[in-house]
Amino acid sequence: MLDSIPSFARLVAELSKFPGIGQKTATRLAFFLLRQPAVEAEALSTAILELKRQIRFCSICYHITEQNPCGLCTSQSRDESLLCVVEEPQALLAIERSHSFRGRYHVLHGALSPLEGVGPDDIYIAPLMQRLGQGDIKEVLVATNFTVEGDATALYLARLIHPLGIRVTRLAYGIPMGSELEYIDEATVNRAVQGRREF
Amino acid sequence: MILNNLALLRFRNLIEVNQDWNQNFNIIWGKNAQGKTNLLEAIYLLGYVKSFRPARHHEIICQHEEQAFLKGQLTSQGVNHQLEIKLTPNGRTLRVNGKPVQRLKQFFGYLRPVLFTPEELGIVRGYPAGRRSLLDRAILHVEKNYLDYYQQYERILKQRNQLLKRQAREQELQPWTVALINAGVQIRHSRIIYVERIRPLLKDVYQNIVGSSETADCIYSTIQKHEDELKEEFAAELDRKHIKEKQLGQTLVGPHRDDLDFYVDGQSLKTFGSQGQQRSFLLAFKAAQVLDQQMLFGEPPILLLDDLASELDMERQSRFVDFLIKQRTQVFLTTASPEILAEAVKNQAGYYRVDQGKINTLSPE
Repeated sequence: MLDSIPSFARLVAELSKFPGIGQKTATRLAFFLLRQPAVEAEALSTAILELKRQIRFCSICYHITEQNPCGLCTSQSRDESLLCVVEEPQALLAIERSHSFRGRYHVLHGALSPLEGVGPDDIYIAPLMQRLGQGDIKEVLVATNFTVEGDATALYLARLIHPLGIRVTRLAYGIPMGSELEYIDEATVNRAVQGRREF
Repeated sequence: MILNNLALLRFRNLIEVNQDWNQNFNIIWGKNAQGKTNLLEAIYLLGYVKSFRPARHHEIICQHEEQAFLKGQLTSQGVNHQLEIKLTPNGRTLRVNGKPVQRLKQFFGYLRPVLFTPEELGIVRGYPAGRRSLLDRAILHVEKNYLDYYQQYERILKQRNQLLKRQAREQELQPWTVALINAGVQIRHSRIIYVERIRPLLKDVYQNIVGSSETADCIYSTIQKHEDELKEEFAAELDRKHIKEKQLGQTLVGPHRDDLDFYVDGQSLKTFGSQGQQRSFLLAFKAAQVLDQQMLFGEPPILLLDDLASELDMERQSRFVDFLIKQRTQVFLTTASPEILAEAVKNQAGYYRVDQGKINTLSPE
């Protein structure tokens, strides 16, 4: 049916490539755009083009940025001796939102996963090691995800960093804030008990 | 635990079933190839989500149909629950008490069937994989974390094997080896604890059913060890096989290769056991599972016995039936010759005749 309206069909096809967006939602979004004034559509297309034109990876930490080096790397108020390693820029943003970390960052853009063909050379581990070699960093906080792949990446990094005499720490895991124990799944409670600590 | 009602739509040859069940003994009888085992399979599926027969969804779904539907109503610990499974060729939907559940783990634990089928007899003499699966299926329903451990281990194993296949550098392999050890030890630990717990039960119940003084035993790993010791042990095993692993491109030791050994009077059933001993052993292992769950949860699981009569002589059968009556276990039993059982369970059995996929409440005489 859509075949007779090629420009519409094309937009639906493009939109349905988005994660979490299927054919139905794509059609709905396309109709929404159709009803919007042309200015809105132009604003959207410009925003998308700008995103691709302006954003690059910071040459120090590999976070996404418009200025190179990024604001986080050039800021004067950050602790030079502390470095937090994350898998993706989204994870960095999550830690920033918590205002709990005042050191610098390093984004790996992935985790080790042999099944998907991702090895140490496919993520930004080499530049991380270069940074550590410069000698200012005293502690590396490994904040990779708590998946099988994230854990393995953390183990790999710990192995690599230890000989440099730098302290390696891992993000703690356990019970989420404001939750009651009885509603937490067993695996999480189990890990929290394993990782208990002294008052 | 009592299964009160089972409703099926388009499940194999059972086009439409809606059946209330007896609280004690359910004798499902009829000629061969009428759908008796399909009924047991449906109940098993509500407990394990996976079938005990190798089957794809499109084989389970009745021919030319889009989907199959299973619903069980049960009472456990005094509470009524409803379990539902919808099967389509590409997937399944699970519901507990009308609410959809995403994770398999949330579906487990309501219905805990223990199954005895003639096909399983091959396990005693066959490859270790069969015995491991026997053990894993038993643990799955008594230890909630076991499924998590297992899925995690399998994932790590696949990743590590991929690296071994690619002849990856030692440095790259190392984190996966550590992860494998950590996850593997959790599985071994759970298995050791379980086996230690059922060994005395197995010994008792074997003597009860067989009516002899023979001692049955099963050994997974000889003594209970601390997790740290298990870690060292696993690491050493991997170390010893390291060169071979690189040559063959796969992980050669670990929980996925372990074996469970069955013994009667100190002799391994794998090589020495008679057919009768193997049958009795397997039955005793299942009975030990019943006792274990009784102790853990304060109620027995339900028992599914496929074609028991063909496997046990009269005397052992009646001993086993006595045991089940004493445990107040709800039993679903298929047989082609119901008269044989009639005496032992006369007053507490419901009879269901299966004929070309239809069930009638009908006793044989």
